[in-house]
Parts: sequence; structure tokens; C-alpha cells
Amino acid sequence: MNQLEAVIEKEKGISYSQRDKDLFRSHILILIHQEQESKKFIRKLCLILFLSIGTLSLLSSRINEISNDFTVGLSDAITGDILTIANDFTVGLSDAITGDILTIANDFTVGLSDVITGDILTTAIFSYGLLVALLALLKKPDFIFN
Amino acid sequence: METDEELVKRTLGGETDCYGVLVQRHADYLFGLGMRFTAGNREFAEDISQQSFLRAYKYLKSFNTKKKFKQWLTGIAVNCYKDLSHKESQYLSLEVIDELSYTPDLGGNTGFFELIKPLAEDERTIFTLRYVYEYQIDEIAEVVGLKSGTVKSKISRALEKLR
Repeated sequence: MNQLEAVIEKEKGISYSQRDKDLFRSHILILIHQEQESKKFIRKLCLILFLSIGTLSLLSSRINEISNDFTVGLSDAITGDILTIANDFTVGLSDAITGDILTIANDFTVGLSDVITGDILTTAIFSYGLLVALLALLKKPDFIFN
Repeated sequence: METDEELVKRTLGGETDCYGVLVQRHADYLFGLGMRFTAGNREFAEDISQQSFLRAYKYLKSFNTKKKFKQWLTGIAVNCYKDLSHKESQYLSLEVIDELSYTPDLGGNTGFFELIKPLAEDERTIFTLRYVYEYQIDEIAEVVGLKSGTVKSKISRALEKLR
């Protein structure tokens, strides 16, 4: 036990010194500074990532909406226009053909009718007028021959 | 001269340079502690000292300024020693300390490092704190985070091994 105490007593008297204490202190402070900068960087990175993810998710929904609208719009435009064009074309052609034919036919019929009806009336009126004039001449033959 | 606790307060207030004063003030103490815990492994002792100061700065907010900074720092050094000896494969396991891969810095004293060789890691720290640094049982219990009874029994076991 005395030997143990002696060793311990001797050990108490020994002091250990850190080599280059100033350098050690500077090293510790640099490491602390690096750690703080690293934490700041990670915090900034997390914030940027968070904001980026948020912005991207917002943009993504908007992009989907826009692309969806665009696709639908384009599809509608293409399909609609083609259908409209085709429809218009078909209808137009049909109208043009049928319409024209009908118009022509109608015009022809009306015209023919008009021509026929008009001419008949004119002829009738002329005929009646001529007959009245002949009768008048027949009733008063002195006025004419005198 | 400012006390440790005042320097801690100033450090927490944003004056990082004040921590430099604390480092300079306790560098030898922590290095000596490391040397004794590691039975003279200077490299390991320097690592313990460095890690202890870094960890202490990290948890400085948790330090109760009504208590002694040196004692709080000792607790951190004990934990660093345990962590480093378990994690770092570059350091020798204490169980195979006979097969030395480092040259112990004996500092003129071959006796103490030889004496504590048979002790386990926790016994070595408690024995050193009790007999070299003359900490009280309660203080050791607080530093190592054990009950006073456990500390006493570990000291008794260590003494038995050394006799």
C-alpha cells in the first residue's frame, strides 16, 4: 500500500504540458469557426432546398395545369378547327352544292314562273287593250276615216 | 483575472475569443488528464483534449454557471476518452495494452502508467480522479454520471486489483 501511495504521490507532482499552447488554442478556435460555418452552410442549404422544393412543387402543379391547358387547348383547337373546317367545308360544300342547286332551281323556277306568269299577264293585258281599241274603232268608224 | 464562469458567459454572448482564454487556461489540465487515462499515449491524450474543448463549446449553453467549469470539463473529457477509445481503431484497446504500438510518454514517471495498466477503462478514470486529482466521491459520481455507491465499489475493485 505504501508503494501505491508513493507512486500516486509522485504522479501528483508531475505536470503535463500541451505542446504549442498558442497553436493549440488557434487550432481549436479555427475548428470551432469551421464548425459554425459548416452549420450555417447546412442551414442555408436546408433553407434553399426547402424553398426550392416548395417552389418546384408549386411550379410543377402550375406547369401541369399549363401543359394540360395547352394540350387540351391545342387538341381542342386542332380537333375543333378541323371539325369546324371539315364541318364548315362539308356543310359549306353541301350548302354550296345543295344551296346553289336549290337556289338555282328556285331561281329558275321562280324566274321561269315569273317569266311565264309575267309574260302571260302582259300578253293578256296587251290583248285586252288591243281588243278594246278595235271595238272602239269599230264603234266610231267616222272618227278614224274622217 | 476573469473567472471561468465569466468567460463562459462572455463566450455565450458571442465573444468567441474568450473561449480561447479558457482553452489556454485548461489545455495542460485536460492534456494531463488524457495522458493519465491513456497511460501515456500523447497522441491519444491530445485528441481527447481537443475533442473535449470542441464538445464543451458545442454544449456550452448547457453549462450551469453556478458550478465549476473545470469539473464540467472533466466530465466531458471522461466521455470523450470513452468514446474515442471505443470508436477509434487507431488507438489500442486497453485489454491489449501490453502490445504497445505507441511509445508512452512517461514524463519521467514509469510507475503510475504501469500501475494503472491492469485497470479497466472506467476504473482507471475513477481511480485517477480520486487519487491523483483528489476529487470527492460525490464529485466523481457527478462527473462520470454514476451513483456514489457505484463509484465507491469501483474504487474498491480497482484497489483490490492493484494490491
